[in-house]
Amino acid sequence: MSLKDLISPFYVWQRAFEKPYTQKHPIQERPGAPRYRGFHVNVLEECVGCGTCETICQNHAIDMVQVEGLEPKPGDSGLRPKFDYGRCCWCALCVDICTTRSLRMSNHYAWITEDPTDFNFIAGADNMSWNGEEYGYRRDDDYHLLRGERVKMEMLAPEEGLKSFEEVMKGYTEEQAKDEADRCVECGLCVATCPAHMSIPDYIKTVREGDYEKGLRILYETNPFSSTCGRICTHRCEEVCPVGHQGEPLAIRWLKRAIVDRVPRERYREILGDEVVENGKQVAIVGAGPGGLSAAYYLRRQGYGVTVFEAQARAGGMLRYGVPSYRLPDNQLDKDIEYIRSLGVEVRFNTCIGREVQFAELIDDYDAVFMAIGLNVPSSLRVKGEDHPRVLSGLQVLDDVASDKNPGVGKNVAVIGGGNVAMDAARVSRRMGANVTVLYRRRIADMPADPEEIHESQAEGCTFVTQAIPVEIKDADNPDQVTIVWGEAEMVADEKGGRPRPVLQEDRMHEETYDCIISAIGQGGSLDFIPGDYRDQIEFKWGKFVPGDYQQTALQKLFVGGDIANNTADAISAIEDGHHAARGIHKFLTGELVA
Amino acid sequence: MNSVDEILDFAIEREQAAADFYQDLAERASSAWMKDMLLSFSKEEMRHKGKLKSVKKGEKLLSSEQQVQDLKISDYLVDVEPAGDISLQDAMIVAMKREKAAYRLYSDLASKVDDPDVKDLFLGLAQEEAKHKLYFETQYDDQILRDN
Repeated sequence: MSLKDLISPFYVWQRAFEKPYTQKHPIQERPGAPRYRGFHVNVLEECVGCGTCETICQNHAIDMVQVEGLEPKPGDSGLRPKFDYGRCCWCALCVDICTTRSLRMSNHYAWITEDPTDFNFIAGADNMSWNGEEYGYRRDDDYHLLRGERVKMEMLAPEEGLKSFEEVMKGYTEEQAKDEADRCVECGLCVATCPAHMSIPDYIKTVREGDYEKGLRILYETNPFSSTCGRICTHRCEEVCPVGHQGEPLAIRWLKRAIVDRVPRERYREILGDEVVENGKQVAIVGAGPGGLSAAYYLRRQGYGVTVFEAQARAGGMLRYGVPSYRLPDNQLDKDIEYIRSLGVEVRFNTCIGREVQFAELIDDYDAVFMAIGLNVPSSLRVKGEDHPRVLSGLQVLDDVASDKNPGVGKNVAVIGGGNVAMDAARVSRRMGANVTVLYRRRIADMPADPEEIHESQAEGCTFVTQAIPVEIKDADNPDQVTIVWGEAEMVADEKGGRPRPVLQEDRMHEETYDCIISAIGQGGSLDFIPGDYRDQIEFKWGKFVPGDYQQTALQKLFVGGDIANNTADAISAIEDGHHAARGIHKFLTGELVA
Repeated sequence: MNSVDEILDFAIEREQAAADFYQDLAERASSAWMKDMLLSFSKEEMRHKGKLKSVKKGEKLLSSEQQVQDLKISDYLVDVEPAGDISLQDAMIVAMKREKAAYRLYSDLASKVDDPDVKDLFLGLAQEEAKHKLYFETQYDDQILRDN
């Protein structure tokens, strides 16, 4: 062995202090491509917890879980996706389907930890180094797995609609309904928001499957006014539909109608089953509107004898006398009501409590009483000159039209108000040939009327003058006309977060003359029929009942609901109040509920 | 009436008179549920009285420079005769107009005095009444002008 051979191993030491050619942690030096499908990122504030990511994940790598500090709220389940990286295959379907685009991927792909449970994490909530990462995969703006466009429903053209009181919306064909139902992601956010908590994804599924009988059974579990609500519901469910974040929300209301339209009334008994086993107890209901008849339906199904006292000659309440037939045809309202009555619910028409029957009689003669008398006293403007004969009430105009009377609005009409009564008074006036101007104190965005009603009123040619406050009514030169003085308003923010308040600008006044002025600024209730002896046992606030649990009042036998006991004043809330009260009355009469 | 205590006593008496007014109206109310509503107005006035008593003991009033929003809702509403069969809407009109009158009274008194401290007190009381008026106007806007 030569000397060189002996010392050559030591030559390597001369390299020991040189910069190495290899990298110790090469991946730290190599960021992922800008659109790499790396670890997930979720913007918690944008996510609504719809769970569509969980549903689409083929590897069951996502679970929707609660996150500390996040509470459920309308349109947000409060849940957020938790990822299991032992299962994830980085396909990014979850990102592509995300309804709000809150779910994204970062371009990070290296994660070293000794604890395998770390690989289960809540994106956006757990503190990860890639949270807020600028790069990574996002769904492109023009790439949609979900269809954002709603299936359009055939409707009468505005000029055609004005010629009669024929229903404007024509309903979906079977094929259209299935097409629209296909857009549902079955998240259930709508269920939480619907006042009646209808099983919306379940009945939409029956539309998809063409099983309308099953659909009807599901509808009637929570709503015996499904034909009505399929047409005129305020559909708050649609406001929270997550599909609406990237397009138009599901037409949930129209899909409800699609079911009912396909089941003839004659088949209801066979499909819903109407065996009633009498339990011998009697319940009185005051008011045959949606609240009263909803309670009547659910009580009757449980075997109670039900008598409904109705002041008017026909049932339906505000649905009958306040909603014109171009929105809700009489035969569709009758379809709902006739089925309820067919179960043996007795309705005593033209019977007013305090006049034909006394409040005390109800309390004494029945095991329980449910009161849903609605709001049927129009608020008046209380401005100077309001008692002019050409000032009409919106409710009276609608009542006249529903009763086939001519309200005599003339050819040039001003409607004051921004609710559904105002919109309907405007639209019926248009149908009677009048030019209509709607004067509203606030802005269109603040109107309490349904957006569709506002839109259709405008399409039918009603002119909207907003931020206009009436200050005086005067005689016009022509005794058959009337003059209104109104001032412009500026909007100011409400300090307590309420709706913005209009403030009159006294230097900007206007005068206009019309054939009539229709006042539709709101309604109140009449509670005068309740004798003083009972008053102290019942709580009221701002002219309404204040119900307790299950709609019960402190006068134990008395349950209340509908517009006279809630602040939402819509049919679906009244229907739920009636259903809730029916549960409460059953509990009360079986000893489960003690006030 | 030119000392601070005298002025506050006057204001306290006015609040008591207002509370008595609603109490009396409640007793005459033919509608059962309106009785409760009017009694709640009376309690509201007693709350105002309590506030002024606290001011007398040293608590601060609203600054006269702090402007309270005037929605002007009551300005163009017709006067209402308080009667036993008064409705909710009319009761609220009465309340708004009474607060407005009180505001005007204190504003007028402020304009008639020279002492800056007394003037400031009157203006502060006026602002307090404006706040009460705003409360009733806001309720009127929410409860009566529901669809407007």
